Amino acid sequence: MADEFDVEFIRGDDREARILVRGLTPAFANGLRRAMIADVPTLSIDTLRVVENSSVMFDEMIGLRLGLVPLTTPDDFEYGDTVTLSLDVEGPDTAYSGDLESSDPDVKPADEDIPIIQLNENPSGENQRIELEAEAVLDDGKSHAKQSGGVAVGYRHLRKVSVVGDRGEFDEEETNILRGVIETEDGELVPTDEFDHDLTERYPGKELEVEDVPGAFVFHVETDGSMTVEELVLRGIDSIESRADELQEKVAV
Amino acid sequence: MMIPVRCFSCGKVIGEHWEEFEERARDGEEDPAAVLDDLGVDRHCCRRMMVSHRDLVDVVSPYQ
Ligand SMILES: [Zn+2]
Repeated sequence: MADEFDVEFIRGDDREARILVRGLTPAFANGLRRAMIADVPTLSIDTLRVVENSSVMFDEMIGLRLGLVPLTTPDDFEYGDTVTLSLDVEGPDTAYSGDLESSDPDVKPADEDIPIIQLNENPSGENQRIELEAEAVLDDGKSHAKQSGGVAVGYRHLRKVSVVGDRGEFDEEETNILRGVIETEDGELVPTDEFDHDLTERYPGKELEVEDVPGAFVFHVETDGSMTVEELVLRGIDSIESRADELQEKVAV
Repeated sequence: MMIPVRCFSCGKVIGEHWEEFEERARDGEEDPAAVLDDLGVDRHCCRRMMVSHRDLVDVVSPYQ
């Protein structure tokens, strides 16, 4: 195992990023990926108290939709802690996630424009209406996918591309598809979408050699908005650390 | 009925993009592929959520 990690942000924003980590073993890289998906807890609506629901959907369907709305999750919550949110919309109108009123200013829908339910006017003349109180609970992705902060978190090896010669004069110029991030001979890191994932586009007429860089992994981390990418990675690492500590304690006794 | 909140396969929130997609690609003249690229709905699992969706609330509503 290498004695030092080296971390580099290749590209990204708060919601989606590519991060290069050197000095990892495949097992540890996968452990981190799984921690980000299943072990970092987030707040999600889990229980409803429905006061009125005259919409076209059953209470349970509304409950599922509300549960899937990502809520911003500060790091001072414990497993099982709850936050109350309320929704009160009368048609003709659409209830959006942004209409949810939270009792905690730090916990609010990460996206405000998710349609929950469209409310119309009934043929009899009265308006459809929805009024409810919802309880959001802190739990992790092992209990329900809605509690998972990471979306499509994965990694690939960093690949080194080197030119070994010219392609034969009469060889066919064919596509050479590679996805991820490559390291050029000058040590430059290039995401493959910059040349349409086609090595022939970047190195026309060249004979290439592509090989994995040992211990270098490019993570693609995307969050649902409940926290930033950086926070998700840090909390994933914290979760591994705290479990390792707990194991150490138990073994030592 | 309503556009699902998240993609069934990967879990990305896609519901928020539906109304713009409907306005620009369904009711408007724009190319659906270009609109989806523009909205940042990149993976084909998420794209099929938008492309294959029908709003049914107005159809069901009279029978409430
Ligand atoms: Zn998807």
